[in-house]
Amino acid sequence: MNPKYKRLIILILILSILGLATKLVLMALKENIIYFYTPNELKKKYGNVKNIDNKIRIGGLVLEDSVIIDKNTSIFEITDKKDVIKVFFKGQLPDLFREGQGIVAEGILKDNKLIASQVLAKHDENYMPPEVADALIKNGVWKGEEKK
Amino acid sequence: MIPEIGHIFLIITFVASIMQILFWIYNINSFHGFTVNILKKSALINFSLILSSFFILTYSFIISDFSLLLVSNNSHSLKPLIYKISGVWGNHEGSLLLWVLILSAFTFLVSKKNSNINPKLLSSIIGVQTIILSLFLAFILFTSNPFERVEILPLDGRGLNPLLQDPGLALHPPMLYIGYVGLSVAFSFAVGALIIGEINREWAQQMMPWITIAWSALTIGIALGSWWAYYELGWGGWWFWDPVENASFMPWLIATALLHSVRVLEKKLVLVNWIILLSILAFSFSLLGTFIVRSGLLTSVHAFASDPSRGVFILIILAIAIGGPLILYAFKSSSFKEQKMQFNILSKESAILINNLFLTTATATVLIGTLYPLFLDAFNGNKISIGPAYYNATFAPIMAPVVFLMAIAPLLNWGQHQQKNLSKKFIFLIITTFIGMICLYIIEQSSLFALICGSLSIWLFSGVITDIIAKIKEAKIKFNKLSQVFFFISKINLGIHIAHIGVAVFLAGVTGEQFYKTEYNGRKHIGDIFDVGEKSLEFKKIEMLDGPNYKSQTATFNLLNDGKVINVLKPEKRFYPTEQSQTTEAAILSDFLGDTYLVLGDGNKEIGWSIRVYFNPLISWIWGGACLMALGGLVSILQNRKYRKIIK
Repeated sequence: MNPKYKRLIILILILSILGLATKLVLMALKENIIYFYTPNELKKKYGNVKNIDNKIRIGGLVLEDSVIIDKNTSIFEITDKKDVIKVFFKGQLPDLFREGQGIVAEGILKDNKLIASQVLAKHDENYMPPEVADALIKNGVWKGEEKK
Repeated sequence: MIPEIGHIFLIITFVASIMQILFWIYNINSFHGFTVNILKKSALINFSLILSSFFILTYSFIISDFSLLLVSNNSHSLKPLIYKISGVWGNHEGSLLLWVLILSAFTFLVSKKNSNINPKLLSSIIGVQTIILSLFLAFILFTSNPFERVEILPLDGRGLNPLLQDPGLALHPPMLYIGYVGLSVAFSFAVGALIIGEINREWAQQMMPWITIAWSALTIGIALGSWWAYYELGWGGWWFWDPVENASFMPWLIATALLHSVRVLEKKLVLVNWIILLSILAFSFSLLGTFIVRSGLLTSVHAFASDPSRGVFILIILAIAIGGPLILYAFKSSSFKEQKMQFNILSKESAILINNLFLTTATATVLIGTLYPLFLDAFNGNKISIGPAYYNATFAPIMAPVVFLMAIAPLLNWGQHQQKNLSKKFIFLIITTFIGMICLYIIEQSSLFALICGSLSIWLFSGVITDIIAKIKEAKIKFNKLSQVFFFISKINLGIHIAHIGVAVFLAGVTGEQFYKTEYNGRKHIGDIFDVGEKSLEFKKIEMLDGPNYKSQTATFNLLNDGKVINVLKPEKRFYPTEQSQTTEAAILSDFLGDTYLVLGDGNKEIGWSIRVYFNPLISWIWGGACLMALGGLVSILQNRKYRKIIK
């Protein structure tokens, strides 16, 4: 085959792979991004909207004395010390789940309650998930480093 | 006193490395034989000094010298010896020391004389390696000194994060770092070639075994991390597309692309610029990986420390180590002489080229998924996360063609001419795959994606078998003597077959785990018997036990089949008083066909305990496959006499 054609074929191949990949990435980014809010940020952004079909993440502290563990469901409230959101979660709570502890819950908002599919308590050495720590510092309710 | 000696060794190495770099640059144009000899000697000296320093730090951990800040923060006198040692690299400062130790070891090994590298190239390689070494030593000395003393001597150490007290994780960082740092050799070969402005096929051959070693170690390192996450975190999964995992996976993908394209260069002087670019990129991703994890940019169990002064330093190192070579590349890459690209569309070369395109594109999708949340946060303060769904929609479809080609490429010839019986092989391959697909469909009917994923695994298995059968036929030897079997094995490229079978095994494991996994969740009391899948579990008892440095709440479950006890599972919850933290130890019953994975959650006598059970079919094949890939890499070096000579 003529080397010119070969080069052309390779070029077309590269461009089509890149095009396809870009298309896939853009589609996936549109559909699979999960936004993070604290209860107060959620209220500011969505106002009185009670149902959100896309998955979201809510982060904050587990409100003291709010944890109820039923037969299969755990119910607790997440707070950023300004607003509160009630969370329903079927499944095992992580090891680091404690009242007063920073956590992140992922799920959909239904009737102003978060139906969580996942509860995360990854943390740094201050026992705070980084997003939660950032948000709490921004809201002026936590200065960081206090639990060290 | 002893730790100060370790610190002084590091300072001496740093100063010496700066002098070596100046010496190398001064002599870069007027080349003498003695230049390379001095550089070789200095590589040995750097290595010995850093090794001594590393031993001193290890010694301080073993004797629990809590006057060192690092030891008192990360160790405890009651910790088992192995975790005292692994505590050395279970933290930011110590892991960086391990990093430079491995770097200097690689530099020393490459510089040994039997590699036959052209002395001009070799001195550039050592020079570039020494620049990287000096950057890292500066980083250690100015921001992360492992030998820092405490002001007030503590009574005991603060302990190591209990999640890290684990045999799998003791080995994970060293293997990962051998992989990361091993890629620096390819990087230095590439930059060396750019500096001296010449490249030949020997260049590719001399670089090949180092890439292969790095790639094998990286494979094992990633697999160990994934295995650890599976049994230690208690989530039942093996890969979470966590940014930290991606950070180690991207260099692996680029190294895989490099590993294949260098084979083309070994045959013929083509694709030179592409391969140089890949070599630079592979190590750049390693650096990015090291720093993404270390800078506190991303937080997880890996993020030991986040200190803003380190961030700036890290950016400077990245700019020098990645930016410098890329600028050099832009100016000098066009000067290389290449042979004409003369090969068929249907040939090994073009298959490898296409494989490279897909692999690099796949890497780009992972990079976007990893960095996009960071950019968005910096740009408008929106905090987002990108989960597995993104990667399933982008990475998986881009990698599917790679696996498809993996079965075909080994059947093709190099260059222009293809064998006449190629179509016969293809027909055999297609028929066996088709039969396998039908079997898979009959045994377990599942979704279309499960069928595609499973078929790709079968396709790859068949590809390797087709290739071996064809080679046996071509060799025309009778296998009546063992020696002839060995003769045959020595003639074929066994490493490639093993590695490709490894990918097929891995894919089979992924198919089982992704599409046929079952899960059970519930709250149970002592004495309950409940059905999970085809078997049932009996909750026998729960008791408090004492471990070496923790207290454990251990539950006992009987696994029943038709009312008969076939096994006992003992999941635990552990509490580490020193670290004030709790971990979950899943009970895992592992066999060839799948795992039963039982996790004990919170609970008490009144409400019962929360229980989670997973059945993960074929999951151990995932790590088995990864081990086969790494083994394939090692075999391919040991089998080749020239490679053996280089690494000896």
